[in-house]
Amino acid sequence: MTGRPSRWLTGFTALLYAFLFAPIVVLIVFSFNTSRRNFVWLGFTLDWYPKLFENQQLLGALAVTLQVAVIAVVGSTILGTLLGLGLARLRFRGAGATETLILLPMVTPEIIMGISLLIFFAQLFSLNGSLGQIAIAHITFCISYVAVTVRARAAGMDPRLEEAARDLGASAFGAFRHVTLPLIAPAVAAGAMLAFALSFDDLVVTAFNAGVGSTTLPIYIYSSIKFGVTPAINAISTIIVAVVSLALFVAWRLGAFRSAKVRLVEEDA
Amino acid sequence: MSRDGERRVEVGGQRARVRPIDFETAVDAYLVQRRWTRRELLERMAALGAVAVLTPIAAACQAAATVLPSSPPTQPPGSQTGLASPTATPAPTPQPTPESELYVYNWDEYIGPDTIAGFQQQYGIQVTYDKFPDEPTQIAKIQSDGKGGGYDVTYPASTWIHSLSSDGVLLKLDQSLIPNLANLAPAWMNPGYDPGNGFSVPNYWWTTGYAWNPDKVPGDLTDWANLWDPSLRGHLAMLDDMREVFAVGAFRLGLSPNTTNPAELDQILALLEQQKPLVRIWTEDDIGDLTSGQVWITHAWSGDWFQMIQDKPNTKYVIPSEGAVRGNDTMVILSGAKHPIAAHLWLNYNLDPQVSANNTNAIGYMGPNLAAQALIDPTIVNDPRLNPPADVQAKLVELGYLAPADLDQYTQRWNTLRA
Amino acid sequence: MDVVRSASAPARAEGSVRAPWAERLAGAAFVLPGVAWLAIFFLFPLAIIVVVSFGSVDPAGHVTLAQPGLQSYAQATRPEYLPAFANSIRYALITTVLSLAIGYPVAYWISRYGGERKTLLLILVMLPFWTSYLIRTYAWMIILRDNGVLNSVLMAAGLTSDPIPLLNTDFSVVLGMTYGFLPFTILPLYVSIDRLDRHLVEAGRDLYASGSGAFLHVTLPLTMPGIVAASLLTFIPALGDYVTPDLLGGAQTTTIAKIIQVIFTSGRDWPDGSALGFLLMAITMAGTLLALRTLRREVLA
Repeated sequence: MTGRPSRWLTGFTALLYAFLFAPIVVLIVFSFNTSRRNFVWLGFTLDWYPKLFENQQLLGALAVTLQVAVIAVVGSTILGTLLGLGLARLRFRGAGATETLILLPMVTPEIIMGISLLIFFAQLFSLNGSLGQIAIAHITFCISYVAVTVRARAAGMDPRLEEAARDLGASAFGAFRHVTLPLIAPAVAAGAMLAFALSFDDLVVTAFNAGVGSTTLPIYIYSSIKFGVTPAINAISTIIVAVVSLALFVAWRLGAFRSAKVRLVEEDA
Repeated sequence: MSRDGERRVEVGGQRARVRPIDFETAVDAYLVQRRWTRRELLERMAALGAVAVLTPIAAACQAAATVLPSSPPTQPPGSQTGLASPTATPAPTPQPTPESELYVYNWDEYIGPDTIAGFQQQYGIQVTYDKFPDEPTQIAKIQSDGKGGGYDVTYPASTWIHSLSSDGVLLKLDQSLIPNLANLAPAWMNPGYDPGNGFSVPNYWWTTGYAWNPDKVPGDLTDWANLWDPSLRGHLAMLDDMREVFAVGAFRLGLSPNTTNPAELDQILALLEQQKPLVRIWTEDDIGDLTSGQVWITHAWSGDWFQMIQDKPNTKYVIPSEGAVRGNDTMVILSGAKHPIAAHLWLNYNLDPQVSANNTNAIGYMGPNLAAQALIDPTIVNDPRLNPPADVQAKLVELGYLAPADLDQYTQRWNTLRA
Repeated sequence: MDVVRSASAPARAEGSVRAPWAERLAGAAFVLPGVAWLAIFFLFPLAIIVVVSFGSVDPAGHVTLAQPGLQSYAQATRPEYLPAFANSIRYALITTVLSLAIGYPVAYWISRYGGERKTLLLILVMLPFWTSYLIRTYAWMIILRDNGVLNSVLMAAGLTSDPIPLLNTDFSVVLGMTYGFLPFTILPLYVSIDRLDRHLVEAGRDLYASGSGAFLHVTLPLTMPGIVAASLLTFIPALGDYVTPDLLGGAQTTTIAKIIQVIFTSGRDWPDGSALGFLLMAITMAGTLLALRTLRREVLA
């Protein structure tokens, strides 16, 4: 079944992986560059990294970003898991419309979401941006991703498992707690991680909802890029890449990406 | 206890009636007159006995209260709109005691390296110096509570003075506390954006011209018209600043950069549209884009050119012959300042010729200080691009305040230009 | 990843103990909080955009609905804005086509020849996506600048004496966008290709007596749903992409997303910006509805 792939195809694929990772490698390499403004390699230095920790604005932005991410993850994971479960396991009127509603944020351009929330908060509540406002915006666009992830897993779950538990005497809630929940747990975790990554990295929606004192890391990086690039940005970027890769690696080892198929073990007749 | 919390005190056998707040103020007045600190007062009390010291104070309480600027923590200074109250006593105006702290809010790298330390040493005032990354952050912060967001002094661009003062964000200056105002060049005594310097003191000023790399663009460029040269296609950057860009068009057409005439604005737009195909970037980093070689020539501020030549010494700059914008920023005291005396001292200190010269020498922007000119680095003060002679200065124009409806005229055309 | 790998829901067994009405109630209860949130913070604000787009700005700078009308739409559809619209559509289209052309072979390779390492390979494809989009775009700035990596290499190799202007051009924008959206393209393609029954392909190979024949007449048509899903998942966000054209583009590459941002951050003309935003939404809406139908089948099923 698995024949030998053509050399062209393999070469092409390898080239693509190189293409995908090349910019990141360049980024990391140049974080050690001595030159302040130009991106010609001038010499090796580790100086940009310690300087990051003295940068109050940067640390402040990081703190805000993390706070928002935590709130966004908690909020969207809870709401999204409920959504996903409800859609997958239970039939109700309006299920189709709900599915459409979940998918809408995923296909709405970020600039539209940004301005809609800006107008919403500014016109109706005279709010000018704050950490809370950013957090609300993040929850809003993260829910869909969690819901879709959980739904996929929950839908792939054999419903007879829960029924078996009920037959064995468990209550509806007990069956849910001891059977369904553990089975969808990896999907919930994957959804939560996805929400974290999306929230941590968001720029456009955040920029429209940020105020004084609620600058996030992406906003800080973006301003730095616009107003004058230095290898310090590379240093932050390298750290972010390292952290995310580590998180992904851990998640993979924990089995977050394993298949959703769970089958009831058939007893012998 | 009687009305207003007036209390009877017995001091060394003598009785006096004092009101608590008045007592404090009276003590301060007393101290100021003798130029003592409170510590010295206590020492003297210990030495001479309380009565000898306190009696005059008690007596002073009887006299009409002098509203003193240096207030103890009990009295919120924000409630005062002026400092030397017009109902001052006939006693000679005392030199007020500054507070012990000062909160300053400024750009990064915008002051001489020794200025803060020098101020702290001279006055014994602890300076907390916060920095903001960009103007929207600054303005939002000081407007956040309508009174300055907790700061005493900040550095807004001159174009903000009109709206900030009418919104009550700024403290009206007590010019008697800023004698160094006399050092200002005549051109700065009565600027259009703030008549008589009632709310602000000019800080740095600059021109907006353009800078280029002579290795790539040979020859001597002197006019804005040079920026329409087709050979520059793809190698030109213009500032991402609506008013500045429109000003360039206005100067070429001999119009005012503050025009609100729609027909004139349309003419300016048409001219800028002709230039647009040549523009590579609308830049917010003119320094980086030129020194890194992304563009050969860029619309630029004079102070930025000063920084460009640190990286690339042969970069050229010109104040074009058709005219140019003169911009400046200012030092202001916020209306909610908790340390208004110290704030005035800070403004005064920065107008001292040597301090002003030190600031300029470090940053490259000229100050408004005539007396400082002799002390500024000759390469700066003698450079007609950083410090233009009088005849060129006469052709410089300030960007004035525009009412929102007028500004909309600009914004619409700017959006059209950008699309 | 679980998002796209999912088995179809097995049929409910007979003798289900849950009463239908209780099930519906439970379903509604589960779903209600999320739906309510999205209704308040997603749908309602979108509706506000539409409402604001019919308004105007009073002299004080506030949005007013005193004289509702289509004046903002007249503004938004001015011919001067046409270049920006054209740019947005052009970039999104080219990006989609390129992503498909590049992504399909790779998805095919992983599915067919990935073997046990399939998951790992997919994770590797997704890894750049998980690290910051902003940062990756910035990385391209470093590479494509006139004095950047690519030009330095080209000049060192003697291929050119002057730096080639790569940044701030259509080329850099499309390159950056394609790079950013590749994972979005590869994943749905992979799912679709992975579902292919190998026997069908083999049969096709026998029938058409060539690999390419089998590909054209069997593989391609059967993976068409995946191709459609991938195209839509790429095209629609690409239309509204703000960051890449802003950082990698220049004065000549302005997009509608950028214009909207300029209006909302430096001007007060929110009705004008809302009208533009609504137009952008309208252009994507048709594609969105199409995407939803396909997505529901491919992603949720």
